[in-house]
This record gives sequence, C-alpha cells and structure tokens, in this order.
Amino acid sequence: MLQTLIPLFVDALANAALIFFVAVGLTLVFSVLRILNVAHGSLYSIGAYVAASVGLWIVAAGLPAWLTFPALVLSAAFTALLFGPVIERTLIRWTYGKSEAVQVLVTFGLFLILEDLQRMVFGVQSIYADTPMALLGISEIGGIVYLNYQLALIGLAVAVLIGLRLFIRRSRTGKLLAAVVADREVSQAMGIDTNKMFMIAFTLGVLLAALGGAMATPTTGVAPGLGADTMVLAFAVAAIGGLGQVEGAAVASVIVAVAKVLAIYYAPALDAVAPYLVMLAVLLVRPYGLFGAGATRRI
Amino acid sequence: MLVVENLSVEIAGVKVLRSLGFELKAGVRSVLIGRNGAGKTTTLRAIMGLLPREGGKVTLDGREIQDLPSHERARLGIGYAPEDRRLIAGFSIEDNILLPALALDLPAAERKRRLEEVYAFLPQLAQLKDRPGGGVSGGQGKMVALGRALMVADRVLFLDEPFQGLAPALALDYARTLARLRDHRPEIAVLVTESSPKLLDDVADETLLIERGAVSRA
Repeated sequence: MLQTLIPLFVDALANAALIFFVAVGLTLVFSVLRILNVAHGSLYSIGAYVAASVGLWIVAAGLPAWLTFPALVLSAAFTALLFGPVIERTLIRWTYGKSEAVQVLVTFGLFLILEDLQRMVFGVQSIYADTPMALLGISEIGGIVYLNYQLALIGLAVAVLIGLRLFIRRSRTGKLLAAVVADREVSQAMGIDTNKMFMIAFTLGVLLAALGGAMATPTTGVAPGLGADTMVLAFAVAAIGGLGQVEGAAVASVIVAVAKVLAIYYAPALDAVAPYLVMLAVLLVRPYGLFGAGATRRI
Repeated sequence: MLVVENLSVEIAGVKVLRSLGFELKAGVRSVLIGRNGAGKTTTLRAIMGLLPREGGKVTLDGREIQDLPSHERARLGIGYAPEDRRLIAGFSIEDNILLPALALDLPAAERKRRLEEVYAFLPQLAQLKDRPGGGVSGGQGKMVALGRALMVADRVLFLDEPFQGLAPALALDYARTLARLRDHRPEIAVLVTESSPKLLDDVADETLLIERGAVSRA
C-alpha cells in the first residue's frame, strides 16, 4: 500500500510546487493591483518556452550540462524583466480604476496576443528539454524510487514560500506592498509611490509564473495550449486558497494536486474535473476561500 | 505658507468644492468648520492629490504642488491624518507610525530620531507600540494617526475630523494635545477640520467656515 501511496504523494507534491508558483503570482498581483490577470498563464508558458529553448541551446552548443539548472531560473528572470514592466506600464496601468469587465477583456486580449506570439516565435511543435531531470537522476529509499528533480521542485517551492513571507514581512519594499494592499489611498498620502509598487508587484507576479513554467520544462513537453490549461488551474487554486493569500495558495496547491493524483489513480475519468470539484466544495462552505476573509467594511 | 486658490472639485458630476480658497500661515493653527457634507474631507483629499480637480492651485512656499503625484507631498513636509484613522491593521502600532519614514526611505538614524520625537510628544504611543494596528481603541487610533502624520509634518499638518466619535473626556485630551503642539512644533501650519466650533476654541488661531463647498473667514 505504502509502496504505491508514497510515490503518488511525492508526485502530487511536485505538481503542487509547479501550480503554487503560478497561483501565488496570480494572487499577489491580484492583492496589490486588484486586477485578475487572465494572461497570467501565458507568462507561465512563455517562461517554459524560454527555459526549454535555452536548455536545448546549452546542450547543442556543447556547454557544460549543469548550466541548464541556473538557466531555468535565469530564463524566468529574463521573461519577467522583458514582459513585466512593459505590460504593466502600458496595458495594465490603463485599466486601473476601470470596471472588472474592462480589466478582464483587456487581459484576455493580452492572453490572445501572447498565445499567438508564442506560436510565431516557438512554433507549434512540442519542445522537450529534460536535461536537468536526467542529470539529477533517481534515488532509492526503502525500495521506493524517487525522481530527484521532483524532490528539488518541492524544496524550491518551500523556499519560495518562506522567501515571499520574509520579503513581505521584513523588507522595505515588502512592507510598502503590504501597506498598499491594506489601504491604497492612505499609502499614497503617507508617501508611497503606488505606481512603482504596482510595477514591482506585477513583475514579481510574472517572475513567479515564468518560474513555474521554467521549472516545469524538464518534466513535460512545452506545447501550445499550456498557458490556458495552467491559467484555469491557477485560478482554481487561488480561489480555493482565498485570493490574495500566500499561504492559502500553498495549501490549495497541495489539495488540488493530491485531488488530481488520486483521481488519476482511482477514477481516471474524473482527472480533469477533480480540481474544480474541490473548488466547488470549498467555495460552497467558504465563499472567500480557505484563508480568505470576507470583505469586512468598517463604518 | 500653504495657499489654496480657486480649488474646484466635482464628484460624479456634482460640484463639491466651488472655487474655494484660503491661506495657512506658518505657526498658525486654523480650524475649518462646516457641517457634514460641506466639503471638509474633500478639501483635504483634493489638497493631498487624492482626488481629481476641476481646477485651482495649491502652492507651498510659492511652489505650485497641485499637479505633483500624491505621494510626493509627504516629502515636502505635509503630514495628513485622514478621517477615521485608517491604520494598517496588520502592522504593529510602531510600524504604522514609521510607515511615512519607510516610504520616504529616510536613513535609519533619522527614522529613529523622528520616532523618538513622536514618542516624546505622545508618550502613550510608546506603550502601545507592539500592539497590532487593528487592536487599539478609536481614541488611541486617533493618537496613532496623529503620530504617524507628525513623522513627516515639518511644514504643514492636516487633521481631518479628529474629534469625531471621541468620548468627551478623550476629546478634551486630544484638544490639550493639540494645544501642546504649539510649543512642540511652533513653526508648522496646522489645519483641523471639525463640525462643531466649540471644541477648538482654545486651539484655533483662525477659524475658517466652509459651506456648500466654499470657504469664508469667520
């Protein structure tokens, strides 16, 4: 029994790690900018394409294979710096203060543009770049075989969770972001440049999405459609955890990934709907998500 | 020091401020008195750049500041305690007070100096400093909002309806604190808004009346 369950659970946690990167980015952008970025999933797939291309190039150029590890993180950072500030400064900034319908339409338009851009640049064939996974190999503990790359993913997700918490609680920028989330107008009056904070938060959100995409490439092929699939899943996770909740996104990622893996193992027909069944169940009981607080307005 | 001229604001197509004007002088405590809905809060928010203006000028020492982004006013030495306190609930009281200093990225030594100055003037805040912003009473919260505004108020201090909702004893305490401010920061211009004129008799050097979005001197 354990021989089956433990690998399943590790598999689920590794998937949870990838979902967490995307979902926490989505939720962070939402809490600071109060915009649900429908194009967030595209930035995940762009991160994946960039990382896969760089990985393949490193191997083809005959460079040392270990370079593919830093290349994953650097690809995500490159994607974030290339797209984050530009998109926020132009399209997203234009939607501040406009209705949710406008914001959804604008970011959906952005999603369509980015999806076509990827087809133009990277083509429609799947790209496989699994060098990092192959390099790390496997380990065998107590007769169970683990993929070391999956364990590394779980470790990285935990590190990102702790790092984000420390950043928000301890650093100057993090505290200013928290103040903007709590009260935008007072933050301005106290001297916080909220436009700068929006750009930082959006770019950090893109970085997290692109990191998810980059870290996913060694485990799976990159193909068109990845962005849309990821977006819907990240949205479910953010809703389950409570929009704007960092810990909520972490817990919800694990719940969704475990639900998905259990569905694949015990009821394969339910694989695709399992995350949404969980979302439905959670939202019926807690409409603001597991960690979300209802909008309490003081009068 | 701070001059407001022809300030006009519309909210949802309704004229809330009509070519309003007044002057705040260095070292002078002014009180802006008006009924609810007369435009007191709107006046302060418009000066702070938190609302779009239809027209008008705001100058600080002769320099036009009305078109500056809102956040740059703190650096110019304008402190603002908004109506209803508006503390950050998840921050400690001390972090709430420090927020403007953090926003301006003041050097650590300067941040500490200003914080100690605020604690010296409002010693009750030093006792509350580790409490969460959401865990203080209304009266304590008003003092915290005052302390937070004092962190940057080298030139001008705006206090929006600080007496609203305070029990009489606390209101008296707050009025005494404002009277002490005269000795503590003799050089700054202070504007306090209030709906009833009585409370501020001892504090006010000058009284401004606001009615239907226009200001006259009493």
